Amino acid sequence: MSAIAEREVALVDLLDRLLGGGVVIAGEITLAVADVDLVHVSLRALVSSVETARPK
Amino acid sequence: MSGKSKVLAGPLDGKLDPFARELPHLGKALSRRIDADPESVEQGLAQLVLTIVELLRQLMERQALRRIDGGGLSDEQIERLGTTFMELDRRMEELREHFGLEAEDLNLDLGPLGKLL
Amino acid sequence: MIELLAITDDPSPLRSPLRLVPAGEVGVVVAPADEGEADAEALWRRESLLEDLMRERALLPIRYGTRVEDDAAAAAAVAPRAGELAAALERVRGAVEVSVRAVAAGDPEPGPGAPEAVHERLAAAARENALHAGPELLRAAYLVDDAEVDGFVAAVRALQHEHPELSILCTGPWPPYSFAEAPER
Repeated sequence: MSAIAEREVALVDLLDRLLGGGVVIAGEITLAVADVDLVHVSLRALVSSVETARPK
Repeated sequence: MSGKSKVLAGPLDGKLDPFARELPHLGKALSRRIDADPESVEQGLAQLVLTIVELLRQLMERQALRRIDGGGLSDEQIERLGTTFMELDRRMEELREHFGLEAEDLNLDLGPLGKLL
Repeated sequence: MIELLAITDDPSPLRSPLRLVPAGEVGVVVAPADEGEADAEALWRRESLLEDLMRERALLPIRYGTRVEDDAAAAAAVAPRAGELAAALERVRGAVEVSVRAVAAGDPEPGPGAPEAVHERLAAAARENALHAGPELLRAAYLVDDAEVDGFVAAVRALQHEHPELSILCTGPWPPYSFAEAPER
């Protein structure tokens, strides 16, 4: 097992954790076109639900 | 290349290839941006717009399910919600195909909401 | 912008570039946000910082790419969950995460019960376990007591010998990425 190959498989395990694991605090998404950041979206601002009053 | 190896135990034949197949695909997911092909601005804008539309569609669909589960909607309302979302889903697929976009191109990681698709 | 790296309940000071921002009963480990493109080296540097920290205190790594404006924003984002995060720290204290993946070694095809048998043996040697989705026959994370890691790795090696039809890879130790959020999520 070469050092490079070991590093690569370890990177797969690292990326799996970085992208799918860890505590999720308020997240942010950056939307970009042609490498230019255009829109910054806050998850917290996006998630809200619509409640209606219960019918009498 | 630096740092201690993270490998604690490996296969008997020492072949690690089968464990590194995802690398090219994962690299794309690193930057939480939508990368548009700069040569196709139209496709890039379509990707941007469709991602937002898909995001909203998914959020609304999940919220609709919560409302259905929670009770308080008439059978007719539930029926209409179901049909509408099926239509929206179909329409999104058509739009994606029209712009040559794969579902993966719209797949944002939304943290606590999971992945978009 | 600052990047949020980990949650800890150890108040002792951190080495630059890391800083500790108090948030109720826990603290957030922060660092100036790296503006460069994320490449493998940058990720490994970040990971090194976390792993150095992990050797001296219990921590919960935060999802990669979490950024906020400043310390006040960091405290505001974390404080509402401080109690829950303190409990999560208790769950992982004194343990590390170990990754195990298993694929078919070739001919003959592994029997349907083989990956499951491997997982059950290893789960019994760990505090907690988490099965992940992936292209392999088995992709799992195990929360293993610090003192038990060598024994765990020995168990993996033994299982590899017992199952030549499988190719098993074990990596670690990792900060508890897979055990940072409560399982009900």
